[in-house]
Amino acid sequence: MEFGIFTIGDVTTDPTNGTTPTEGERIKATVTIAKHAEEAGLDVFATGQHHNPPFTAPANPPVLLANIAAQTERIQLSTATTLITTTDPVRIAEDYSYLQHLAGGRVDLTMGRGNTGPVYPWFGKDIRQGIPLAVENYNLLYRLWREKNLDWDGNFRTPLNSFTVTPWPLDEVPPFVWHGSIRSPEIAEQAAYYGDGFFHNNIFWPTSHTARMVNLYRQRYEYYGHGRADQAFVGLGGQVFMDKDSQEAKRRFRPYFDNAPVYGHGPSMEDFTEQTPLTVGSPQEVIERYAGFREWAGDYQRQLFLMDHAGLPLKTVLEQIDILGEQVVPELRKEFAANRPADIPEAPTHEWLVARQRAGNAPVPGGAPGTRAHEDRLAAQEAERAKADSGSR
Amino acid sequence: MIEIVAVSTGLSEDSTTTRLAQRMLSSAEGAFAARGAEVTTTHINVRTLAKALVDLTVSGFPARELDEAFAAVKRASAVITVAPVYKAAPAGIHTLFWQLIDDASLAGTPVLLGGTGGTPRHSLAAESTLRPMIAYLKGFALPTSVFAATDDWGGGEQAGLDRRITQATDELAELALALNPASVGTREDTAAEADPGTQPTGTPAVGASVAGAQSTDSHPTDASTTESDDYARDIPYAGPADESGKSAITPRGLGDRARDERARDEFDPASVTPFSLLLGQ
Repeated sequence: MEFGIFTIGDVTTDPTNGTTPTEGERIKATVTIAKHAEEAGLDVFATGQHHNPPFTAPANPPVLLANIAAQTERIQLSTATTLITTTDPVRIAEDYSYLQHLAGGRVDLTMGRGNTGPVYPWFGKDIRQGIPLAVENYNLLYRLWREKNLDWDGNFRTPLNSFTVTPWPLDEVPPFVWHGSIRSPEIAEQAAYYGDGFFHNNIFWPTSHTARMVNLYRQRYEYYGHGRADQAFVGLGGQVFMDKDSQEAKRRFRPYFDNAPVYGHGPSMEDFTEQTPLTVGSPQEVIERYAGFREWAGDYQRQLFLMDHAGLPLKTVLEQIDILGEQVVPELRKEFAANRPADIPEAPTHEWLVARQRAGNAPVPGGAPGTRAHEDRLAAQEAERAKADSGSR
Repeated sequence: MIEIVAVSTGLSEDSTTTRLAQRMLSSAEGAFAARGAEVTTTHINVRTLAKALVDLTVSGFPARELDEAFAAVKRASAVITVAPVYKAAPAGIHTLFWQLIDDASLAGTPVLLGGTGGTPRHSLAAESTLRPMIAYLKGFALPTSVFAATDDWGGGEQAGLDRRITQATDELAELALALNPASVGTREDTAAEADPGTQPTGTPAVGASVAGAQSTDSHPTDASTTESDDYARDIPYAGPADESGKSAITPRGLGDRARDERARDEFDPASVTPFSLLLGQ
């Protein structure tokens, strides 16, 4: 079980003193935060991709992640998310391959469509085509990382003739991919089809909804024959603010909550904490709440927390990461390890993926021969042929 | 079973809007019952959802009680909506309710409009805003609406208001029953309702047809769609015809089918669109 943090790099005025970091300060702070996460014993740092203020998350996450890779030893570098709709899949393939070499394989990525309407036309795309873009672009990315001299023709970019990604993925094994979606069943289905991971960023959502999306992905993962439903790769978001007791945590976090981008000036902190994973309280309260995720999500692989947002000063963010690393994560590791079946995989690392590929066990998109999905497909093709035959008589 | 849902915005303690909505709801209940339908009613006062509506607007945060109210509207076979008129338009939180509900939430559902205001000169104000919203949500807004001004509560005109309510709710019941024949079917029909759901869409069963005419063609029994099936895709399955050529099972009407569609769980692994179709392979 991996624990980490994810960021969108929002530049927000600190409501308690009116100060606003410059973009430069915020970007440097992000690197400090990532390094601190490694020092605190966390497993993952993930950055969003953004093209508009007030966010400083990079337009191309490998730029930031490469810088962090050079200053860290162990932490896994990821995205939350990489925009598969508006970014050329060829550039995703090449930039993340390059990063993979620089970082010694400590890289995976999460595909997302992006929910900021104006971004699409900036890159010549249409938000109404979000799902078709995600489907076609990821299919191209998948092939780019696996087929040399690729010939390809699609709807959303110019055709490719005999194209080979440069550099080729490290050890001939592409980075692991998670697919992120809040409420599109198509994306849970896409993750299951390829045998990839599914990440649900549930920070604004009730667990009842998240549970249904996770269940859909798990059931379809099994249908495609990549493993049992409980062996599928699930990641979840989270959001916490801690102090020694609940009262003090609430007092300190409330001004940030009330003025935060996205949910500020809306629901009360009490309503929001009741209905979403946001937990404002003692480390013990955080442990109890997040250990309970297993009850509706099953044994899962990755838990990311949003820590640096809403104008919280860097000092506070680092202090929160310390509490997470020292008091919360060690306890959660114990809780999640207890009674976890041995055949449920951990979040994939590069070494694990290399071993899986060399053993010939890499997932076959849509299901290998012998799986239920494969047989259903053969039966459908057979029926199709029979129909064509009867039509031609 | 018919569920009538009233969505009204009564803002004061003894609100005339709430009173009008209650009278319309109980009149509608009587109109359905008189036509042999089993009825349940649900009354939503938008006032209790005001904060949730604003939270959803500014932060996208879906409060549980709002989800429940939206779900009630989607279940309804008939809807009554009543708003007070402020400055020649329905009160803002009332229109906000209809602006935030999912598209097609009223598909196939007859909707009776009502309004209250200080003088009869407000009488078309509420519906000039609401009627196009109901149309956008694919509901059938009844031509007759009910408006009650201060004068209507004064006694002499009371009979006039009652008459208008009765006329409007009779129309509501007639239209709802025409759109939802399966909802008023016999007990046997209700038991048989499970069957149509298992029929592959796009493939009418042998012998099934709305008009009850016997078909001699043998249809393919698999679920895949062929060109020749296309014309049939929206015809409701009416069950096997008996000797008289009439179906033993009430066809599902436009309202029944729209509610079936809304009740479909898009996160059900058994009904998800296979990825190969998305991929176009």
